[in-house]
Amino acid sequence: MPGMGVGVIEGGWEFVWTAYGVSAAILVGYAVSVHVRYRAERARRRREEAPQGA
Amino acid sequence: MESAVDPRPTPAEGSIPYLLIGLGLALLLWGSGWGLFVAPQESYMGDVQRIMYVHVPTAWNAMLALTFAFACAMVSLLRGGWKWDARLEAAMEVGVTLAVLLCIQGSLWAKPTWGVWWDWDPRLTTTAVMVFAFAAILALRRFVDDPVRRAAWSAVAAIIAFADVPIVYFSVRWWNSLHQLQSSPETVSRAFHWPLRINAFGVLFLMSGLIALRARVAELRLRDELGPPLPLPAAAQGGL
Repeated sequence: MPGMGVGVIEGGWEFVWTAYGVSAAILVGYAVSVHVRYRAERARRRREEAPQGA
Repeated sequence: MESAVDPRPTPAEGSIPYLLIGLGLALLLWGSGWGLFVAPQESYMGDVQRIMYVHVPTAWNAMLALTFAFACAMVSLLRGGWKWDARLEAAMEVGVTLAVLLCIQGSLWAKPTWGVWWDWDPRLTTTAVMVFAFAAILALRRFVDDPVRRAAWSAVAAIIAFADVPIVYFSVRWWNSLHQLQSSPETVSRAFHWPLRINAFGVLFLMSGLIALRARVAELRLRDELGPPLPLPAAAQGGL
């Protein structure tokens, strides 16, 4: 590995970018999934509670 | 509108969860930008150490979410109430999501620093046990149709699974571990404090908003399940 033996790890930005990219994807993806589930459940409740024939 | 005798949960309305999620994402953007482009390079790990600014806040908040799940499980068992069962489900799901993310970030930090993606050392092993235990509870909840039994059963299981959370935290002190000791303002150079703090609050707000929103989903599903006749939660029936 580059830098081994001199006391400092050199490079490694690919790991940094991947960590931040995966974090963003999982956090935003999960937030979107919760939002979509909330909207779907709320829409279902509205449908079920709407008066018959409305 | 909920009637006085209707024990079913009525999910809160309003945009507070969305405000928390938005604030959390904004703080994460700010803190991550600071950590990536402004904070100095660490003396030994170089730029790879910048993973700390997302890894450590994720770890803190994953444990916080699972601790909140434990509190919800206790209240659900002792006092009953569908809201606590919904909050338990939400906190476990958010906690597991953060814990899985934590393992991925840790792996990406381990490879360039330890030379391996994963090692069965005490911290990593106890974290894996924590993830699988809470994920198993979430998966098994889907197989219990009776909401009363499901609430009681999953609260007990969450309390048992929570026993691993303090073990995860103290594992690096109790046993020889490849993993470094806990990071805190006392153990981290002052130059790294601000991006770490900003991201810690970013994940905290995001986690809080997500738990609140996910609990609403669980409450709406419970309302659907608890259509008349209306059963009472475990505690209201005299406990387990």
